[in-house]
Amino acid sequence: MVSKPIPGHVPPAMVKDFSLFTSPGMQRTPNGDPHAAVACLHAGPPIFFSPNNTRDGRGTWVITRAEDQRRVLQDPETFSSHRSIFASALGENWPMIPLELDPPAHAVFRSLLNPLFSPKRVMALEPVVRERAIALIDRISASSTSCDVMKDFAFPFAVSIFLGFLGLSDERLDIFVGWGKDLLHGDAVKRTAAARAIVQFIDELAALRRKDPVIDFMTFVVEAEVDGRPLTDEEVRGIGVLLLVAGLDTVATAIGFDLAYLARHAEDQKLLRNEPERIVPAAEELLRAYSTVQMIRVARKDIDFEGAPIRKGDYISCSTTIANRDPAEFDRPNTIDLAREDNRHSAFACGPHRCLGSHLARREIVVGLEEWLARIPAFRIKEGTSPITYGGQVFGIENVILDWS
Amino acid sequence: MRIIVHNAKCQGHARCWSQAPHIFKLDDDGYILPGDIEVAERDELLASRGARSCPDHALEIDRSPEELLDRFLFNQERGGVK
Repeated sequence: MVSKPIPGHVPPAMVKDFSLFTSPGMQRTPNGDPHAAVACLHAGPPIFFSPNNTRDGRGTWVITRAEDQRRVLQDPETFSSHRSIFASALGENWPMIPLELDPPAHAVFRSLLNPLFSPKRVMALEPVVRERAIALIDRISASSTSCDVMKDFAFPFAVSIFLGFLGLSDERLDIFVGWGKDLLHGDAVKRTAAARAIVQFIDELAALRRKDPVIDFMTFVVEAEVDGRPLTDEEVRGIGVLLLVAGLDTVATAIGFDLAYLARHAEDQKLLRNEPERIVPAAEELLRAYSTVQMIRVARKDIDFEGAPIRKGDYISCSTTIANRDPAEFDRPNTIDLAREDNRHSAFACGPHRCLGSHLARREIVVGLEEWLARIPAFRIKEGTSPITYGGQVFGIENVILDWS
Repeated sequence: MRIIVHNAKCQGHARCWSQAPHIFKLDDDGYILPGDIEVAERDELLASRGARSCPDHALEIDRSPEELLDRFLFNQERGGVK
């Protein structure tokens, strides 16, 4: 991908040869550590311009400090979320909802959806989440002393919870996993094909639920009202697509990074196995250290920000992978301390777009770790195998082969 | 000790609540209820941990001058804080 020319208003001294997509450590790397690679940015300037920092080769400003990212993310009046990242794969322009809406429309849809993902609601869902984890892990431990934890546990677990949330059966689980992979990590052709398939699926499901309502998420959405009117087809689609995309990959990836870490750190693994009450704070620390998501905002007006002449239309990247390794925010940020206190990490972003599914995601990660450690004896990375990591819009890990023979 | 609640900054992370649900009360959507929180002495450690885990800095710890002096003297006796 040829990067676009650097805009004239960007001072050459503020341009830095760094990209979440192409820098060293961001490619697929056996035994890689993309988080350590981006942590090095804290030795440099707090804001710089990266000439090629989106999937389609656009330049972005990069904000490295947690405090500065917070300022950007808490100020949607200046920094817009509307960029149709999903629809653009189809050459279209409509927002995923509420992710890509700005105030005041954002709050309307957020209020509509918040009760479905609240901490209380998630507590009610927990038994199903746990049952699912136990069933998958018991099947693994009954048949082998080794597995690919992504394929055999993390993805089927996260995706089946999500399908259950939508009121769908597990039948098509593999198809959904494939869509998620192609959409987030595939090339342009695969990405477009996956986006098209997802839109078609959501549109068909919405039509079905309009015709024959049942008690599930899509029925709720097609019957919902905002500002005293029903939702438009495009709004229903925007919500459905976001939910699907958000539920496909991120939780599985978090579980993958967590279990890879524990496989390589026997002492920490033993500690959590013997004292499972430590898993909740440990999961927060692992979310901090192995954050995966980059938020991008679009400047709605010209603004000078920490010495950077940001102009209307510029992209501003706030990567959680960078902010959560900021030494000004976290004591010894590159040390993983499973008992870390005051851990105000932004793995689920901050500001009004805080991840709507964060409470469910946390519950899945914690329950997944609890049940894995309760049912699988001391495990390590299988000899002769290497987990493969990569950077990009969303960081990832594959091929986590665990062995407990 | 008192926790000053900046409701406009609360984005519903619920990190405070997850550490101390009896101190930090949430509404049905998971956002903190309005009103500053008076913290009993036995709850101070939990409350300050909860407040300091807020990613959006919506919770501010407010100590009276007497409390601050007590803490300063306490720390000084033990060689100060880093």
